[in-house]
Amino acid sequence: MAERKASTAGLKTPSSPTIERDLKAVTAVPDHTSWWNLTTSEWHILFVSTCLKMLLYPAYRSTDFEVHRNWLAITHSLPISEWYYDATSEWTLDYPPFFAYFEKVLSIPAYFIDPRIVDLKNLNYDAWSVVAYQRTTVIITELVLGAVLVRFIRNSVDTPSQRIISASLFLHPGFLIVDHIHFQYNGFMFGILLWSILMAREGRKLASGIIFAVLLNFKHIYMYLAPAYFVFLLRSFCISPSGQVQIKNFLSLANAVIAVFLLSLGPFVLLGQVPQLLSRLFPFTRGLNHAYWAPNFWALVTAADRVLLRYVTRTGANVAVNVAGVSSTSRGLVGDTIFAVVPTVLPIHTFAITIGFQTIILVKLWMNPTYKSFLTALTLCGYASFLFGWHVHEKAVLLVLVPLSLLAAERQAYFRTYILASVAGIFSLFPLIFTPAESVVKVIYSVIWLAFIYKSLSHQVYEFPKSLSYVFIDTFEKLYLLGFPLLLAFVSLFPLVVQQRSTSSACTPSQNPAECQEPNSSVHASRLEQMEFLPLMLTSVYCALGLVWGFCRLTFIYMKNESTYQGQMNRI
Amino acid sequence: MIVPRGAADQVVNERLTGEQSPSMESPNPNQQPFPSSTTASRSQSVHKEQSPTLPRLNLKSDSQPHASPEILAPTPRRHLLESSESQHWLRTPPLSPSSSRGVSPVSLFSSASLERRVRTTSYYSTRPSSSSLRTLFDSDKSKELAGNGNGRKHEASDKQDIEMSMGRMWVRWMHKRNMKGWVIPALVAVSTLLKWCIGLGSYSGEATPPMFGDYEAQRHWMELTVHLHTSQWYTYDLEYWGLDYPPLTAYVSWICGKIGYWINPAWVALNASRGIETPESKVFMRATVLAWDLLIYVPALLMFVKTWQGSRSNRTQNLSLLTLLFQPALLLIDFGHFQYNSVMLGLTILALNFFAQGQDVLGAICFVLSLGFKQMSLYYAPAIGSYLISKCIYLGPKAGWRLFVRLAIVTTASFVLLFLPFLPPFAPFEAILQPIQRIFPFARGLFEDKVANFWCASNVVFKWKRWASTAVLVKLSTVFTLLAFLPGVFILIRTAGKTSVGISGPAGNTSSSVSSTHSPTLPLLPYALLTSAMSFFLFSFQVHEKTILLPLLPITLLLCGAPAGSTMFGWGVLVNNVAVFSMWPLLKRDGLGLQYIITMLFWNRLIGYDPRRLPSRSFVQLLSFAVYGAAGLLHLAEFILPAPARYPDIFPVLNVLISTPVFILAWLWSIKNGIEVGWALGGLGQARKTTSTAPATAAASLAEATVKRGVTRAASLGFSNGRRRAPTASSASSSGRPRTATNMGT
Repeated sequence: MAERKASTAGLKTPSSPTIERDLKAVTAVPDHTSWWNLTTSEWHILFVSTCLKMLLYPAYRSTDFEVHRNWLAITHSLPISEWYYDATSEWTLDYPPFFAYFEKVLSIPAYFIDPRIVDLKNLNYDAWSVVAYQRTTVIITELVLGAVLVRFIRNSVDTPSQRIISASLFLHPGFLIVDHIHFQYNGFMFGILLWSILMAREGRKLASGIIFAVLLNFKHIYMYLAPAYFVFLLRSFCISPSGQVQIKNFLSLANAVIAVFLLSLGPFVLLGQVPQLLSRLFPFTRGLNHAYWAPNFWALVTAADRVLLRYVTRTGANVAVNVAGVSSTSRGLVGDTIFAVVPTVLPIHTFAITIGFQTIILVKLWMNPTYKSFLTALTLCGYASFLFGWHVHEKAVLLVLVPLSLLAAERQAYFRTYILASVAGIFSLFPLIFTPAESVVKVIYSVIWLAFIYKSLSHQVYEFPKSLSYVFIDTFEKLYLLGFPLLLAFVSLFPLVVQQRSTSSACTPSQNPAECQEPNSSVHASRLEQMEFLPLMLTSVYCALGLVWGFCRLTFIYMKNESTYQGQMNRI
Repeated sequence: MIVPRGAADQVVNERLTGEQSPSMESPNPNQQPFPSSTTASRSQSVHKEQSPTLPRLNLKSDSQPHASPEILAPTPRRHLLESSESQHWLRTPPLSPSSSRGVSPVSLFSSASLERRVRTTSYYSTRPSSSSLRTLFDSDKSKELAGNGNGRKHEASDKQDIEMSMGRMWVRWMHKRNMKGWVIPALVAVSTLLKWCIGLGSYSGEATPPMFGDYEAQRHWMELTVHLHTSQWYTYDLEYWGLDYPPLTAYVSWICGKIGYWINPAWVALNASRGIETPESKVFMRATVLAWDLLIYVPALLMFVKTWQGSRSNRTQNLSLLTLLFQPALLLIDFGHFQYNSVMLGLTILALNFFAQGQDVLGAICFVLSLGFKQMSLYYAPAIGSYLISKCIYLGPKAGWRLFVRLAIVTTASFVLLFLPFLPPFAPFEAILQPIQRIFPFARGLFEDKVANFWCASNVVFKWKRWASTAVLVKLSTVFTLLAFLPGVFILIRTAGKTSVGISGPAGNTSSSVSSTHSPTLPLLPYALLTSAMSFFLFSFQVHEKTILLPLLPITLLLCGAPAGSTMFGWGVLVNNVAVFSMWPLLKRDGLGLQYIITMLFWNRLIGYDPRRLPSRSFVQLLSFAVYGAAGLLHLAEFILPAPARYPDIFPVLNVLISTPVFILAWLWSIKNGIEVGWALGGLGQARKTTSTAPATAAASLAEATVKRGVTRAASLGFSNGRRRAPTASSASSSGRPRTATNMGT
């Protein structure tokens, strides 16, 4: 495994005995009984999920599939000096070096299975061999996630709940949609993240920090979470509870992290390619919103801008309207977002807002650096970055959902937040899969998953609403959740209705229907094209509402209530 | 001496099997059986021994005559322990293995029947104690498995080896987690997901112009029926997938086509849409299969489980449903290969359900619909027909004839209704001939491709087609088929003759109450269906490899109620697996290799199948090992080696040679079981000619009649059925109970 190799190698530099003990715990191959001692039900879950994932081999796959195939080809057929320069395909390598090494490792068996997989010129190769191979690697690397989740069960405070949470994470619809249909390696990445969190739970903070550093070098999106790690490790590992700086701990952590980064970036430092690498990793030329608005705060702002624009054009109110924004927002979702009414947002603004929210949370974490507090702060950090960040992808919602899942069985407040965020977050992933056949899969699977999670956890954590305002909130949240089936019905029926209308107006049924496929009036077509984005917009705005509310909820719980609540995890 | 039953039985158990569990060092019944310091594991093992084996052991072990308490609790009527022979076909243990209910004692009255069951199911008695040792050692693990709950000690130790089955564990978990009501919705949802995921793969004839495959045929029929008048349905461009199924298929296609036309006319445009393979149209086609499946097949299964297994525990019913819903062969053919078999099979199951409820007329209508959907369900016709006749015989001359006439009228009327658009007022008289000719294509060969039936298998050594003309072969195959299904029919009719109400009692007062329930020959019906469908598959003319689905239905219905590890289970799963294996060449051609492996593994693991756990060194176990070994080798060889140029068909032929013997054995097995069940129902001797003259024989016959009526009631295959009859049961039970009393007196 690449990450294990990396961590062992990265850890050789520091040499104090305490650290070594710590390291041994991380790096020593864990004894087989603890890794393989799966209970029957765990084997069953693994078996069922593998069956399902394998049945998805022929399913739709996005361009990310070709992206990763291309990376296999780049890392296999080019010397390391050209990895970050190659531009044969438009899908250039834009993940950090550890991921490139990981692809290099994967490309070796790929060559033996089918040499054409790793042929750099063989663009858009989609033979059965490459599909099966790449999909299989996703399933196999996801076992890291499974193994870590099993470890989470073993020493947990509340084993039955943790078992359900672990199962829910392993079978998360987000992973199914993004990894096994859309194609990415999130299961593997989140496996490493959870491993790091597990180390934090077990009090091995150095290991936790190192593994997180490794993760950062796999995929830099995890920087969203880095502030929480930084504060947590600094406060609880490098400073003793009484406030003394533990210089030895600090140095070992710093050295280890630097070593990890050296291992990753070292070759490129030697080659003098770091600026090129960074320009690949951080392309700041993109717009505020991704092509499809991620369901975050900016989606709400953009939607508000559109509503305001309507209002302004209708009432003729005296507001300065950005002409470029009128066309931009009416087209909706493509490219740069320029607001018509609302003041323009620059990257620095989003950055400032994100940091602002994170600071509030981190101050709280500084005061109360326990594991549970860390977990909540970690979730909130990711959450803030997701809601207020620049050019956020909808897939980043997993950064919120995965750590939040670990808190789900804590108590009613967390559980409700978790349900709200999960429903909204998973629903917001639906547009990733737009082909009709796979859409059925994603919907049925998510519904089954949700029903199981809800039924098996809700009765454990149920608390009666304490006051009238809570009752109102509770009711509104339930109404919000009830809106999702309606939204789903709208989103899936809308294209049908539009198509109906276009065909019925374009030609009469008695004519040869095959010709009716071509919409012949251009005016009509452009109107339809406008309407085409309506379901997407609605989805992202409605999900954004839930997610923003979830953020407010969680922040409130974290800032306000947690000091009084002495719940399950506080015992750790 | 009163000893708690569990402990005493454990002792008996250990003596019988010669094994001693460490928890009981000395087999002394006087010893305090539950010391206060019992460890968890020990008490578990004690609980464990309150297993279904209990009553049989009591009967067998004469050394412990009073091991059970003297006080006999009244047995609930629907309880399976009131074991009547007619339930022998279910081969259930007296208590369903997943139930945690206590065991009720046996009344001596039915000891004779129990003795028989001891013989047939004696392997149970050897199993628990051997596994009890294991449970002791694994007690920690099993505790962990069981989760938290009140009765978990019972459950955790309850047959560790059987509990390994995925489905069983899941059902248990759901019940423990207070999600009992969610089991069936979840099962339906998960099976729907699985079906859809199978449908993501390719289908018959994908991207293979000009003719494509079954998918295109079905789609073409939609196009045909939507755009053309009925008179042209069976005549339009026969070269390109002319309609060759009975009218109901055409009507179903018409409905689907109308909906498709409404959504997007291009999908079913006449002629222009041939070979259309847009993603949307594929989704539409897959959705139609799924919709019909959910409308007919799944409800039929739900109803089957409720009616045929109504007397069994909730969990067992859930497990049966699970076994049926995920049957791999049907999933692969309907949702992978692309056909609508589940409609035909669902209608047949509905017919069986109605028969079990005693609503023969409704059942007959359903079966006619099934025939009207696909002529293949003619394979079932001998069994269903003879069952209905046996019911008529059972009812006695007067009521029997009435039923017979009613059935005849209803059946004819529904056929006429089905074919109405092709009949004189609406069409010229010759019009009816077209569908008939299309439906029965005798002009084709003896067999197509490679199918695992008698003709194709024997063709390896004996070239039938060279030896005889088609006409001769048609006749020959008809005779063979007839001879092959005759035993099933014969047993049904004969048993009916022996159990007839008309012979033993005055027909007048019983028939009114009896006619509303099923005939006592009902337990024979699944076997008869299996015999008849298998004989058609093996010996009839023009059989496709997909047709194996028809014999699979009855054997899966039988299998779903059988406990894991029984012979019935062994046969059922073996035939199912071999059936899927026999379709491998077809599935490979369709590009469904992955789905083939996954559905098969999934189902076997779900129901907890493991040939090693079958009754050891029984015939079915040895056969399973041999067949799986051969099949595995064949797959391996096919994977590694290319087919030799001289024998390009070597792999399909070998496949046929492996599969056919299994099917032939299954056919023989069904006949053997039919005979056994028939024997149990009516005895081997001649039909009773007793009339109530001599008092002694009268008493005997009365007793028998009581047993018989008790049979009908206890075996009423359904609590629901029992409930339904509850208000009217007074007549039957009032006549039954005093007789029992008199019988006990004499």
